[in-house]
Amino acid sequence: MRHAGFTWHDGALLAQGLGVSLGLFAGTFLIGLVLGSAAAVLRHFRVPTLGTLLHTGLELLRNSPVLVQLFLVFFGVPALLHQPLTPVFAAGLTLSANTAAFVYFIAVAGLDAVGRDQVEAARAFGLSRVQLVRHILGPQALAFAVAPLVGLAVNQLQVTSLVSVIGVVDLTKAGDILNLRTLRPFAVWTLVGVLYFAAAKTLTLLGNRWERRLRAHAAPLGL
Amino acid sequence: MPFDPTVLTSHLDTLLAGAWLTAEVCALGIAAAFSLAAALGVLAVGRGWAGRLARLYVDVFRNVPFVVQVFFLFYGLPEVGVYIDAFWTGVLALGLVGGAYGSDVVRSGILAIEPGVVEAAKVGGLSRLAIIRRIVLPIALRTAIRPLGSVFVNLVLSSSILSMITLDEVTGTARGVASETYRPFEVYAFLLAAYAGLTYAVSLGIDALHRRLNRHMADNGAAPGVIHGAAPGVAHGAMGGTA
Repeated sequence: MRHAGFTWHDGALLAQGLGVSLGLFAGTFLIGLVLGSAAAVLRHFRVPTLGTLLHTGLELLRNSPVLVQLFLVFFGVPALLHQPLTPVFAAGLTLSANTAAFVYFIAVAGLDAVGRDQVEAARAFGLSRVQLVRHILGPQALAFAVAPLVGLAVNQLQVTSLVSVIGVVDLTKAGDILNLRTLRPFAVWTLVGVLYFAAAKTLTLLGNRWERRLRAHAAPLGL
Repeated sequence: MPFDPTVLTSHLDTLLAGAWLTAEVCALGIAAAFSLAAALGVLAVGRGWAGRLARLYVDVFRNVPFVVQVFFLFYGLPEVGVYIDAFWTGVLALGLVGGAYGSDVVRSGILAIEPGVVEAAKVGGLSRLAIIRRIVLPIALRTAIRPLGSVFVNLVLSSSILSMITLDEVTGTARGVASETYRPFEVYAFLLAAYAGLTYAVSLGIDALHRRLNRHMADNGAAPGVIHGAAPGVAHGAMGGTA
């Protein structure tokens, strides 16, 4: 006999999938944030060769589909290096690098938005480069970059839905499994969509609150 | 095994056929997205129920992953008796999501128009439709075309996801070639570069369009970084796995 109806266990499956999606998102976004900002700082100080190399590589990552990047890492790298990768590792690697590429371009714009005169003033006071980034460039660039970063976070949360293709059991894969058993795709994909929507909305709300706090000291625009 | 791109030469015609299908579905999807973006952008400025509905639409399509939308259209709709084949599902999905992202750009472009211009048109006795068609949209598109371009670039990247609903566009054919040649790295590395080239071509086209739309302006559109009117999160949108 076939058990085609929805059961309580399906709720657990979806919740587990949502947990995997959120965990993967949080981990890769943090790594991407660190790597992307580091690359932007390297570029800001005009590090020769390495800066250009990073710029080209990240530009390529930004301008190619995540799906193809996932295939390249999960199927391509093991074939080339004879080193099998687990789906979660391949997904984590790809999404971190992809996030880093987008963070890099946001961070570069943020760093460029800080006035040149401030950097010169800091140099005149004898601040080291680390101090300059930590006390002068970093905070101001962050205030400038926070809105695009929140938008990026919402997008990257949705990008995690692609890792189901290489076998990570995230929310989309959970929906796929559920769909195969119940054969009710209309209901299943609506439910999965609602869950993603709720997660993305929560993230936007948190981001907006954080943005207000970061900009609290700035004068209102008086529009 | 060393990196050897020459294995691809015997499969080049298959890949090119896939690339052609990608170009077709993207061109139709971008056209649909552009029309929908303009219509929704105009509606979303309004205060009434139409404006609220348009903003709700944008909210839903921006916050649900593209894969889920595609699966809903391709696998979910037949359950309620609506059958659309893979190609047109792809065009529809790209149009729906591109329209949502694009309408935000168009909306901020419209909000940036000086009110006096629209008032002058009203005083001049132009009808509502004429004002939108002749005054509001042409001016809004001048600032909106660059961010719209990033939305379209993202659509091209998103189209790779259509390989998951049996559409044999370039990613789908590449998967076939990869499993036939056992050289996935070469195939996908080539594909990565091909998409980068394709999106570069789209952005070049957008640049030309931007210059043409701004040809009457003093700076001739040559001023770099016209980010005026770009909603946060649009210029770099990944669109649920689009990037």
